[in-house]
Amino acid sequence: MDRIINDFTINIATANGTGSQSANLILLQTLFDMGIPVSGKNLFPSNISGLPTWYIVRLSDHGYQAPGNRTHIQILVNPATWEEDLAALEPGTVVIWNTDSKMEMGRDDVISYPVPMTKIARGLNPKLARMIANVVYVGILAEMLGMDQDVLETAIAKQFGGKEKAIELNSEAARLGRAYFTDELNKEDSYHVEARDVEEGGFFVEGNEAVALGSIFGGVQMLSWYPITPSSSLAEGIISWLPRLRQQNGKATYAVLQAEDELAAAGMVLGAGWAGARGMTATSGPGISLMQEFIGLAYFSEIPSVFWDVNRVGPSTGLPTRTQQGDLTMLYEGSHGDTQHIVFIPGTVEECFEFGWRIFDAAERYQTPVFGFSDLDLGMNRWACNGFDYPNEPMDRGKVVLTKEQMESISNYGRYRDVDGDGIPYRTLPGSGLDPILYRGTGHDEDGTYSEKPDVYYKLMKRLKRKIEGSRDNLPAPVLREEDELDIGIVFYGSMENTIREIDDILENETGKKVSTCRIRALPLHSGVREFIEKHKTIIILEINRDGQLNGIIRKEYPNELLNRIHSVAYSDGMPPRAALYAEKVMEVLKEVGA
Amino acid sequence: MSEKPVRAVKLNVINEPKDSYTGGKSSLCPGCGHDQISSVIVNSAWENGIEPHRIAKMSGIGCSSKTPAYYLGQSHGFNTVHGRMPSVTTGANVVNHDLTYLGVSGDGDSASIGIGQLIHAIRRNINMVYIVENNGVYGLTKGQYSATADVGSKKKKGVTNETQPIDLCAMAINLGCSFVARSFSGSKKQLTSIIKAAISHKGFALIDVISPCVTFNNNDESLRSYGYVKDNSTDLHAVGYIPHFSPLEQVEVPAGAYRDITLHDGSTMRLETISEEHDVSDAVAALTALHSADAERKHVMGLLYFDGEKPSLDDDLNLLETPLVELQENDLRPSEKQLDDVIASLRG
Repeated sequence: MDRIINDFTINIATANGTGSQSANLILLQTLFDMGIPVSGKNLFPSNISGLPTWYIVRLSDHGYQAPGNRTHIQILVNPATWEEDLAALEPGTVVIWNTDSKMEMGRDDVISYPVPMTKIARGLNPKLARMIANVVYVGILAEMLGMDQDVLETAIAKQFGGKEKAIELNSEAARLGRAYFTDELNKEDSYHVEARDVEEGGFFVEGNEAVALGSIFGGVQMLSWYPITPSSSLAEGIISWLPRLRQQNGKATYAVLQAEDELAAAGMVLGAGWAGARGMTATSGPGISLMQEFIGLAYFSEIPSVFWDVNRVGPSTGLPTRTQQGDLTMLYEGSHGDTQHIVFIPGTVEECFEFGWRIFDAAERYQTPVFGFSDLDLGMNRWACNGFDYPNEPMDRGKVVLTKEQMESISNYGRYRDVDGDGIPYRTLPGSGLDPILYRGTGHDEDGTYSEKPDVYYKLMKRLKRKIEGSRDNLPAPVLREEDELDIGIVFYGSMENTIREIDDILENETGKKVSTCRIRALPLHSGVREFIEKHKTIIILEINRDGQLNGIIRKEYPNELLNRIHSVAYSDGMPPRAALYAEKVMEVLKEVGA
Repeated sequence: MSEKPVRAVKLNVINEPKDSYTGGKSSLCPGCGHDQISSVIVNSAWENGIEPHRIAKMSGIGCSSKTPAYYLGQSHGFNTVHGRMPSVTTGANVVNHDLTYLGVSGDGDSASIGIGQLIHAIRRNINMVYIVENNGVYGLTKGQYSATADVGSKKKKGVTNETQPIDLCAMAINLGCSFVARSFSGSKKQLTSIIKAAISHKGFALIDVISPCVTFNNNDESLRSYGYVKDNSTDLHAVGYIPHFSPLEQVEVPAGAYRDITLHDGSTMRLETISEEHDVSDAVAALTALHSADAERKHVMGLLYFDGEKPSLDDDLNLLETPLVELQENDLRPSEKQLDDVIASLRG
């Protein structure tokens, strides 16, 4: 039998609130510490305890990070999904199942490893049996796949940071799992792990925590937020790091406010921005829906403000614990009337950190609401990371008039007068005594005075358009990978980054065609995106939503002669993108258009 | 040609003329109660000797919320969105706690669309003055009843209101609001003292001001008409204000009973008993006064409740004394070494 090394997917079916997450993270950390490229996806319910949860661990020497296209090893612990999980498996799948769950092994075409997980755990500690049983399956896997016990125990120690009793108990549970596999079972499968060269200094981090740290290094002065999955851990990340990084003599250089709702959270961000500070909020789609009115006010009265949207599945409450790129249009064109907003779109945890600080510079430079667009997959899963680069540019606080002398040097100052021709006016801050105005969401002239005059409104709206247009090439440029053929190009964004290479490889294997890729990292679109599209014969816009939202934006903005070559592939079922599925959708379209 | 004698312009304690506190021309209906309140705001700020540029004028949407354009032209302001002025003020307040935040709202803005934000601003005890210009109707949309319209009240056009009103003062007292007062746009003296005291107070000061809408709700069947309020209001006390920069000795001491309340900035609020003493530290007494007046279809005026000890939001947040807006990059961006430490701790 051929050995299959470091190239398979483990699916762990448990119930939430049973401690399985700790066991799964120990497994992930152990593989990572062995130098094996590995990714973990937590598919969890909107619930605290008792509902089905799946954890998908993908090992891939190719470095593929998407959830695997099929399950190779299934851990069955949860009776609630037992039959469904079992039925979905391909013949030959390894099934490690808990014989104490009073369920039957209903398949004879799989490799079955029955294990009395609860009984083994109960032998160790009857009270904690349910929790420890999870580490027993980690032990079984460790023995079955050939994982290093020392590395495993180090991972356990890391997971339970300093709690000696828990470390000893869980280590013993893992050892008992190993022993059970050796003594009672025969290895009939072909899956193995092999240690690889460990890249020094690597660690796991969630996208939300990376944004949190980036925000702190961007000098956040006011965070207002309302709890919502999947963005809460972003705000909580900021809250947990701030005291360590941003106090002076025990006093805070920041304010954190848990708002009464997302409307208030947005209002607080505007208040901070109006006063001259760096304010931000973090939310998800439903929160952005509630913030729409304030977003329009920020755009129209030109208040620097930062909003992070960690996208979950909409519309409405949708699938609150699943992932999607369904909010892009809402961010780009948020609020009523004509608007257009800057959107930063990280695709990696390193970019989550970088955009976390850069976004404040953009908000203050352009005096406008700026969005960070992440999603549940990027935000709440753990991703391998080698470190964050310290900000390589000083803060850009934008065009703020701070002194009388400065004011006198500007001829014909008006809060909303474009004296430099870049569409960006100067502003003064409350308390400064310099040219005070009453900010307003109503029509206003260049001095900020109320006006309903047709030409005043028309000119104001044209200037706002020019202002945001001017940001295009100052925002993060697209990441391009161009093949010599310049035949097919895929345009994509955000967390699709973690699946695109595998999609690319599948396309090349199946069609023989080399595909270029262009990852958009901000809206409005950088001129490099158009150049990429112009260079290629066929363009696929690939995204994780139903309607092809980026495709819609591109079609609205690009000239007709470019549009014939552009095709949308948009698909969303709540899951992080599986490469085979999205590759198939791309191939269908390529076939359809004869590319 | 002989020179005309220059008339001495009256200056306040910081040598500013009253003109430094005025604003643009009002576009409200002639006789609107709100304009009277605007002029009281101008007087109060001037007499209190606040630097005009250190005031922030905040408002929501509605007739009342338009008024910041009509006073304090040298102050920055923010005419925000309907019912959401409290949150914007909160965000501004925590990053710059050195400004005097003066919010103006209406009964639609505060008792309906914005009641949630008002409640939470009270709960947080944000250091601000919050004036409700309360006329019982939506003026800008042409006279619909608001949530403060009294049962049995009848506006100029339409049916009698049968829906129970929300008493913002009673609500605020129940929420533990640190300064709760009710006044009337026509009681210039009382209102001036109350607004001045509210400015001197640190914490959330709610001032519910009955301010008749001359266009839609000033007929005799309305409980919020000039005529009705004049004939049917009871003062809890006579309210006086002695600023911290003016020695107490120079103020005439009333013949009858009075109580002095020391405010956060050292100014004094003097409450002279009219018939029976009202204890402003007694929330139950304040609610009783409101309910008794209500039973008699009267309005009770004065300082209803006061708590000068309650910490305000900026106290709770353990903020640096320097307002956060004044911090520079070296205060706000942690060092490269700190980033190295963060990464080391993530590596575990």
